[in-house]
Amino acid sequence: MAPPKDNLWYKDAVIYQLHVRTFCDSNADGVGDFAGLTQRLDYLQDLGITAIWLLPFFPSPLRDDGYDIADYMSVNSSYGSLEDFKEFLTAAHARGIRIIIEMVLNHTSDQHPWFKEARSSRDNPKRDWYVWSDTDTRYQGVCIIFVDTETSNWAWDPISKSYYWHRFFSHQPDLNFDNPAVLEALWNVMTFWLDMGVDGFRFDAVPYLVEREGTPCENLPETHAIIRNLRQRLDSAYPGKMLLAEANNWPAKVRAYFGDGDEFHTAFHFPLMPRMFMSVKLEDRKPIIDIFDQTPEIPDNCQWCIFLRNHDELTLEMVSDVERDYMYDEYAMDKTMRINRGIRRRLAPMMDNDRRRIELLNGLLMSMPGTPIVYYGDEIGMGDNIYLGDRNGVRTPMQWNGDANAGFSTADPERLYSPVISNAVYGYQAINVESQKRSEHSILCWMRFLIKLRNSFQVFGRGSIQFLKPANHRVLAYTRQLGEEIVLVVNNLSSSAQAVELDVRRFKGYLPIEMFGRNLFPRFGDLPYLLTLGPYQFYWFQLRRI
Amino acid sequence: MAEETILADDLLRQLMSVGEVDLLVGISAHGSANRADRAFYVIEQCFQQYFTRQRAVIVNVCGGRSGESGACEPELIDQTEKSADFSNLPSLRTIHKVTADFSVPPSQGMALRTILTAADLLRARACAIISPATANLTPGWIANLLAPAYREKFDFVAPLYTRHKFQGLLARTLLYPLGRAVFGCGIRELYSDEWGFSGRLAATCLNQDVWHEDPIQSRPEAWMAISAMSPEFRCCQAFLGQKIQLAAGSGPDIVEVFRQTVGNLFWCIESRQASWLDRDTTEFVQTFGLDHDLTSEPSDLNRHRLFEMFRSGVTELEPILGSILAPETHAEINSIVSLEEGRFRFKSDLWVRTLYDFAASYHHAVINRDHLVQALVPLYRGMTYSFLMEHSDSSAAEMEAVNESLCVEFERLKPYLREKWKAKVEVKS
Repeated sequence: MAPPKDNLWYKDAVIYQLHVRTFCDSNADGVGDFAGLTQRLDYLQDLGITAIWLLPFFPSPLRDDGYDIADYMSVNSSYGSLEDFKEFLTAAHARGIRIIIEMVLNHTSDQHPWFKEARSSRDNPKRDWYVWSDTDTRYQGVCIIFVDTETSNWAWDPISKSYYWHRFFSHQPDLNFDNPAVLEALWNVMTFWLDMGVDGFRFDAVPYLVEREGTPCENLPETHAIIRNLRQRLDSAYPGKMLLAEANNWPAKVRAYFGDGDEFHTAFHFPLMPRMFMSVKLEDRKPIIDIFDQTPEIPDNCQWCIFLRNHDELTLEMVSDVERDYMYDEYAMDKTMRINRGIRRRLAPMMDNDRRRIELLNGLLMSMPGTPIVYYGDEIGMGDNIYLGDRNGVRTPMQWNGDANAGFSTADPERLYSPVISNAVYGYQAINVESQKRSEHSILCWMRFLIKLRNSFQVFGRGSIQFLKPANHRVLAYTRQLGEEIVLVVNNLSSSAQAVELDVRRFKGYLPIEMFGRNLFPRFGDLPYLLTLGPYQFYWFQLRRI
Repeated sequence: MAEETILADDLLRQLMSVGEVDLLVGISAHGSANRADRAFYVIEQCFQQYFTRQRAVIVNVCGGRSGESGACEPELIDQTEKSADFSNLPSLRTIHKVTADFSVPPSQGMALRTILTAADLLRARACAIISPATANLTPGWIANLLAPAYREKFDFVAPLYTRHKFQGLLARTLLYPLGRAVFGCGIRELYSDEWGFSGRLAATCLNQDVWHEDPIQSRPEAWMAISAMSPEFRCCQAFLGQKIQLAAGSGPDIVEVFRQTVGNLFWCIESRQASWLDRDTTEFVQTFGLDHDLTSEPSDLNRHRLFEMFRSGVTELEPILGSILAPETHAEINSIVSLEEGRFRFKSDLWVRTLYDFAASYHHAVINRDHLVQALVPLYRGMTYSFLMEHSDSSAAEMEAVNESLCVEFERLKPYLREKWKAKVEVKS
């Protein structure tokens, strides 16, 4: 597939999400760094991913995994220097890999110089860069996001003797976007990194930028105006760059963040993710079909980003109480696995290390409409450590080989930022890149093949989707179509063999070619097309008129 | 060798797509096909409200549309359902709707057999049969029938209804006490349009060689209940509340009702004699909810006409009754028939012996069995007249006590039945 020249690269991308701290330690200090990451770019290129989304790597007290930024225009010294980052960026681009970085614009760390100035006196010029109040009664009824740790969205500042607004942790004061200077400052931050060559930003916590009395302080029109402003500047000065929205909301609400194609280029499709897990456990396609029924059309230049797991908990915000209870019971019986309104586990343990289910879910991820995001380590089936606090259990060092510290670092094990996974099932001795590279049937090699297959067909990134609804509800089948490029995907969501009859009369005369083995299947005709599928098996068929 | 199946290819294809299920609800009733959509709707609400996680299927064997749209015409939804709108309830799973197309409406036996076959094929854990002819069917009703089978591992769940104290007298003065005494299991409603059962019982019943029998073809539900009255199965009752039947013309006359219920019960007693002849105890039947609920609004029953029909019937059937009843019973009937209306009483021990004589004569086939059942009708009218006269002012609690004492009388006289049953009888032509 020749890459198109239309600046819509994010539609065809396969994004790999990682935290530089977790990937590779080049200087034996126990913390991953940019030099180490650069060393591992060949691995990522070989995997077939086309973009990397880097979690926050800025100076930070690290009380929220870097989302509490103390300096937007530098690199946390633990991860290297700005020069190291530039070298990494150049090396990634040389391999055709684009780089997406975090833009945490809703809040800063309370250690950011802006906030230090703002709290120093009520007369400070930076005072109005944050949201202050003499009482903690403004914006009553606005929901608290981190319910496990916070009891209010207001925190008392003993220095300036007033309350400041925070939607997340109390050490993360919200910026005041009613002050135009804040927007200018953040645009300066963006240009700083854009000038360096980054290809896109993932905007964190987008819905919460603006507060208004009597509203939920989420998804307000003023927030959209801010996004349009930034997008306009971006398109004018840096064409071909991309903005990705983190707005954990229903698709109909997230749709607004695409605007008329003039706000975000991409946005996460949060509700799809738990429903993929739900469908596999229920052995029923209903949850997936239901959420797509609720997913509106988006402008042509926009794209959903879809994922299975990420650095946060598997969020269960966008499910009903009944669904949440079901997910907890099926995937997090041990309450240690739960945090906030979600499940802090990785893909492989959630699938009980069942290779067939892991493949099925990755097959769904790669074949459904949207740009897939692979969370680091999931391509080798890494496990988690639910006994680490917060969400750190899914942020353990990448497992490169069976050597000490999983090949992640040569530091003393005690010095690592996090213990490596070392249990008998998911430990680095059993699960690591090196050993999987040596086995062509490993999940790593399979993932590499899957990603390359996806990359070979533009229809996956840009095609329309149409669900076939065979009588057998355990089978999820859909076609993806982009012009003459047509793919039929048939997934058995159940743990037992299934037969399914597909109504493919509109493709009468087409020849289905099984895409993994390039085998020809019988031509479609007038009759229902009978397929049998083994447990959790799926087929991708390229449909050709021959 | 391939097993015989009663399932049509189309139905089989539908079931294949459903796969294994936890719950199956069958819709079965004569002449109510046009209400099937409403039944689909209510059952679907039941699954969404009470069994969110369970794999469920609805099998319609009374015709009508499949309800595939999931929608129900507004006029088909009762006010009570409207006030409790479940349409926004989440449903985790696909709720399957399967409809069996019959070229002619199936008999009740055929309908049940189809449902049991589906339950067996789909390995359903708990099932229920409901009738769309029940006007006030609610999701809660269906849940009450399914839950004991699904969650408490009962094999048969009989319904209980709120009754007027003079409603359902056939059940309370004949079917229930006779069935309870004979089979040793106190299920009050042997004949009903809705009940629940386990997949295990379904499989057992399905494998019985009875499906060609006329009583099974017409009213299979009591046979199924009685099949569950054995040590290997567990029976219970679930209170459903008041039942409102859709008006469907004048309904069958009393003779037809007797054929379908009393005649059917006599057939069950005969065909299941091995299970009760040596049984003397009555098992306690667990009830979910109220174990009875009687109301006592004024009633406009024409008692005088009942008495007249009793007297004329007994007179006309004198020779036939003579061949059915034991001489002593016959003599006592003849003696009360001449009493004045105001002094007439049909004592409970006489009623019990009368019924036992009929059951034994049915067994010995002393006359045509259909005629035998018909001959019981005037006696039942006499019993009913006496009952109404004696208890016109009784409270609901007193009525329940009377009913219980009648049951005890049936149990006390069970040896009489056993004696008559085993006696050698000369069959009159």
